[in-house]
Amino acid sequence: MKKPITLTVNGDMHELYVDTRRTLLDLLRNEVGLLGAHRGCDEGECGACTVHVDGLPMNSCLRLAADLDGSEILTIEGVAQNGQMHPLQRAFVEKGGIQCGFCTPGFVMSALALLEENPHPTEPELRAALSGNLCRCTGFVKIVEAVMSAAEQLTMSNE
Amino acid sequence: MSNEPLKTQNRKSKIVNPKSLIGQRIPKLDAPDKAMGRMTYGHDVRLPGMLHGRILYSRYPHARILNIDVSRAEQLSGVKAILTAADNPPTKFGYGKDNTPFKADIIRSLRDEVAGVVATDPDIAEEALSLIEVEYEPLPPIFTTDEALAPGAPLIHLEHGSNLFTTYNYNHGDIGVGETESDVVVEASYKLPYVNAAAMETCVVVAQFDPRGHLTLWSITQIPFLLQRDLSEALNIPGSQIRIIQTAIGGAFGRSLDIYPFEPIAALMSRKTGQPVRVAFSRQEEFMAGPARQPCRIAVRAGARRDGKLTFRDVSAILDIGAYVSWGSVTPLVMIETAASLYEVPHVRYKADCIYTNNLVTGAVRGYGNPQSTFFTETIMDQLAEALEMDQAAFRILNANRPNTETPQGLIITSCGLKECLEAVAAAADRGMDSTGVEEQGSREAREQRPGGYGLTMDSPTVKRGIGFASTLNVGGGARIYRSDGCGAIVKVDDFGHVTLISGSSEIGQGSETVLAQIVADVLGLQVSDITVLNSDTDVKPWDVGVHASRTTFIAGNAAHQAALQVRAQIFETAAEMLKVKPEQLVARNGQIEVAAENNPKSIDLGKVIRSRHYREGGQVIIGEGWYDPPTKLVDKDTYKGNISATYGFGSQMAEVEVDIETGIVRVLRLACANDVGRAINPMAVEGQIEGGAQMGLGYALSEELIVKEGQVMNPDFRLYRLFTAADMPHIESYLIETDDPEGPFGAKGVGEMGGTPTAAAVANAIYDAVGIRLTELPMTPERVLAALDKKYGRGY
Amino acid sequence: MKVFDHYTPHSLPEALDLLSRQNGQTHVIAGGSDLLIKMKKGLIAPAAIINIKRLPELKGISYSAESGLHLGALTTLGELSRSPVIQEHYPCLTQTTSLMASRQIRNFATVGGNLCNASPSADTAPPLIAYGATVHLMGTTGERNLPLEDFFLGPGQNALLPGELLCYINVPPPDGETLYIKHVPRAYMDISVVGVCARLKLLDNQCQLARIVLGAVAPTPVRARQAEAALSGQPLTSELIDQVARLTAQESRPIDDTGGSAWYRRRMVEVGTRRCLHRILNFG
Repeated sequence: MKKPITLTVNGDMHELYVDTRRTLLDLLRNEVGLLGAHRGCDEGECGACTVHVDGLPMNSCLRLAADLDGSEILTIEGVAQNGQMHPLQRAFVEKGGIQCGFCTPGFVMSALALLEENPHPTEPELRAALSGNLCRCTGFVKIVEAVMSAAEQLTMSNE
Repeated sequence: MSNEPLKTQNRKSKIVNPKSLIGQRIPKLDAPDKAMGRMTYGHDVRLPGMLHGRILYSRYPHARILNIDVSRAEQLSGVKAILTAADNPPTKFGYGKDNTPFKADIIRSLRDEVAGVVATDPDIAEEALSLIEVEYEPLPPIFTTDEALAPGAPLIHLEHGSNLFTTYNYNHGDIGVGETESDVVVEASYKLPYVNAAAMETCVVVAQFDPRGHLTLWSITQIPFLLQRDLSEALNIPGSQIRIIQTAIGGAFGRSLDIYPFEPIAALMSRKTGQPVRVAFSRQEEFMAGPARQPCRIAVRAGARRDGKLTFRDVSAILDIGAYVSWGSVTPLVMIETAASLYEVPHVRYKADCIYTNNLVTGAVRGYGNPQSTFFTETIMDQLAEALEMDQAAFRILNANRPNTETPQGLIITSCGLKECLEAVAAAADRGMDSTGVEEQGSREAREQRPGGYGLTMDSPTVKRGIGFASTLNVGGGARIYRSDGCGAIVKVDDFGHVTLISGSSEIGQGSETVLAQIVADVLGLQVSDITVLNSDTDVKPWDVGVHASRTTFIAGNAAHQAALQVRAQIFETAAEMLKVKPEQLVARNGQIEVAAENNPKSIDLGKVIRSRHYREGGQVIIGEGWYDPPTKLVDKDTYKGNISATYGFGSQMAEVEVDIETGIVRVLRLACANDVGRAINPMAVEGQIEGGAQMGLGYALSEELIVKEGQVMNPDFRLYRLFTAADMPHIESYLIETDDPEGPFGAKGVGEMGGTPTAAAVANAIYDAVGIRLTELPMTPERVLAALDKKYGRGY
Repeated sequence: MKVFDHYTPHSLPEALDLLSRQNGQTHVIAGGSDLLIKMKKGLIAPAAIINIKRLPELKGISYSAESGLHLGALTTLGELSRSPVIQEHYPCLTQTTSLMASRQIRNFATVGGNLCNASPSADTAPPLIAYGATVHLMGTTGERNLPLEDFFLGPGQNALLPGELLCYINVPPPDGETLYIKHVPRAYMDISVVGVCARLKLLDNQCQLARIVLGAVAPTPVRARQAEAALSGQPLTSELIDQVARLTAQESRPIDDTGGSAWYRRRMVEVGTRRCLHRILNFG
């Protein structure tokens, strides 16, 4: 069965006619054509597919597209502004928080949401918030450093 | 091109730029694209007309295929082709030459490929799989190595004549003499599990034949040139008609160190349909059909003298290699390296039987035998120290390998910082948690915020703390397990001074591209942003054996260095003319060519020099080449002796753990890692490799295990195949020891595998220190720990 | 996945009507975190899915001192973990939900979904049962209330009749101290090997009320009634706690599975019960 839905992705409206079996991840990667959200497990365990739905980070592999008519989606492609990396992305780059990069978009989306809700996380709070994102390359050390550093920078630039 | 070792003098004398890029924490070249989600991974490749291939796996672990009926599947609208063993080329492939794309006649494991479907979309392909009817005659399956070797056991590969694929036998010295010289002798038996590399990107390949009949593969392989050759064999087509393009790779860790059936299958699918075909594994397939680390049972005896010197090690191992042999079956060879050469041991005997069963296919997983061998070697060391009543760190330092020595196995150790590594982690242990400030951060607070069973406070009587040590020896300058261990490089500079390095080596996420760019930029007096690295197309780049054995910085680095030096010589030749000095007087710095000794040096813009050389009668463009194949020996196939690598890396770890004696839960609070890396060309990248390796080592120690029952993986998902998450990780302290290797580029050695090899032993030794139990089965899950505590202390601990 | 029809009703009557006209080949989707996994694995293949996320009657958290908590079934685990009302009156729920799955999952998985999925290890169940929760079920033929502990019939089986929806959960005003221990091998992301929830009301160290509810050690969440009886009316001493912990372990019926062995689970019930009770005693 196919259903018409309207999704706003990174500020752009998309009117789509979707197979009800499609998840948001399928839709983003195929119909919408944004490949930044990655399929790591397709079961909500690895977080590589994390995007924001109506402001909240979620595993796009476990959301039925047909359920999301009218929703606003933010993906990794919508984080940089005018081609300029967000301070969080820059911190990932500068602190060595990226090796193979497959998990990176998911981590950035999770960290972005956390910093919006809690601009001054402690390290344990940060690690707990990121426990739904798996990484096999970094041991998480420099990811945590990157996010803590970005938190500081964002706070300073807000003052 | 010379294959001579680069002399220390030459290398050091040219670093005149105080802002040398060597030793700088430079962000990875591709990091911005990755941070913005702009990389093209295998799963992102989209070609016009691309079809989707899926594989039908066997229903039985051991069976004969009587009949395959594809008629219903073929009729499904959207299905373009169905393939079976009838589509197989006549050749066999693989390290053991025992594998075919689809299995004809005999099925040897549950992950055997029986048929393949190609369809216009994945849903149709999935549905078509369920419409293929296969008639099997089940055969008696073999699930243990004991069963495999029992008299009258069915043969898994009839033509091999035995279920014993091969036995490795190694000896140096005389075990008998070693035993008699010993004042203490200890022994233990080990049981080590299946482990999956669990890269975040699952296996994927896109295959396409062009109108000439030439094959292009978009691949996640670590061994593009060997794959080219293996595919040639598997498909029975000339290697010259095969092109491998490596996509951005979402982690490898040895998983793509060999040819696997899904690769020629994708090619066969493309050939049959005349269109590009993508075969992509689900995570479940990745766990079930991907190569796993060999499970093994090992018995070890070891001895030492009263004065603390080691006398002998006697190792006997049995490995379950599964149904087909891949490069991973060479892991016992790497295990010999640690068993025979980690610490100075005069007498070693080692035997490893590699046995076929109907269990999972096994392969290479990061460390390639070293995590296993380091586990038993370093826990036995712990037992010896205890028997001698010696301090754990001091005992190891006493027996540590030393620089400029040759081990009885024939490993020529040049630079060696093992003693310094041990001293660093011993000092970290002495300093304790409080002084590092770890009390304030990390896991303790996290635990206190959670009042659950996981969240006990430090001073609870049911929690015991302990410290353990372990070291590792790993090849650091390639590993000659293949006839060539070389890597080629080409450097060109354009009219504007932009440099392109074309390297045979591959970037699999480990950061090698950036390190190579640093080397080239440093030689030419430029910034890393002036360098483009191309390394993903076999039609373009020179040969390299592949990414493994921690070889890339060392070998590709040396090749790139050579090419860069050639380029610099060409530039200096012309610049010398233009400045009217001798080439030896020149130095490359900040995009300029300058006369070195002067206060206000005469200088000329690099771009000007290049254009001058180019735009004249008899002009030339700037191209340099390098080829480095280290001066090592292919290991002797009978004795396994010889210098397999151009240098060796060393590392030590100290684990501080907390054991909850009521629940068996082990928390690693702190992991101190010291590594002799020769020279850290990019310390941030080196630390990243160690920290990532540690996450794998910790999982191996405490939580990762593929549970296989009757040939079937019972936990093919991240729910029950437990990786350490950010919240599980200990505080990691990194110490980089620089011993300036004489052969490595700028003194560097490879580090890729060392982060995770000693971790399990360090944790096991720490558990012993905490609660007095020696665990010899991995992973040391809460159940296993509690069972051992019960056994030793009764329930009243 | 097999193809399916998809409906999004906008009111409860509309949803119930849709549900009553399907023939049992229909599944309701709230967050979908459990449902989608089962569908992807081919364990469930519904012919139709009814998206109930727009039903206003299933939303909202409200509390009054007289009637306690009204918790809409569509409340996400994330909303639960962040709700000041829950933190103030039912802090065990706040603590429990923050331990479940991951932040991402919690942002769309619902408490109603967690209960209806009826996994023996569902973490919201033991605390809610300990708090004395009842569930409010509605169908086209009427509505009814059920004590939550009677809502679970077996692994993956709940007491909903065909055509019924779980609409909201009522929890009486809080009384006593409640603590949930989720025993898992890793910090987060694990399904409970064992879940132990204890609720005690102490007056002068005497136990006036005791609830002990276990997860993951029986086909459904279960109350350890013998252990509760042993506590009731007794002064709470260390010896009694030990005794009660052993009783609770005896009452549990764990099995061996890929997540853990029966002997280990039974032991963790004992350890978990003891720690839970001690914590309430010491910090309550």
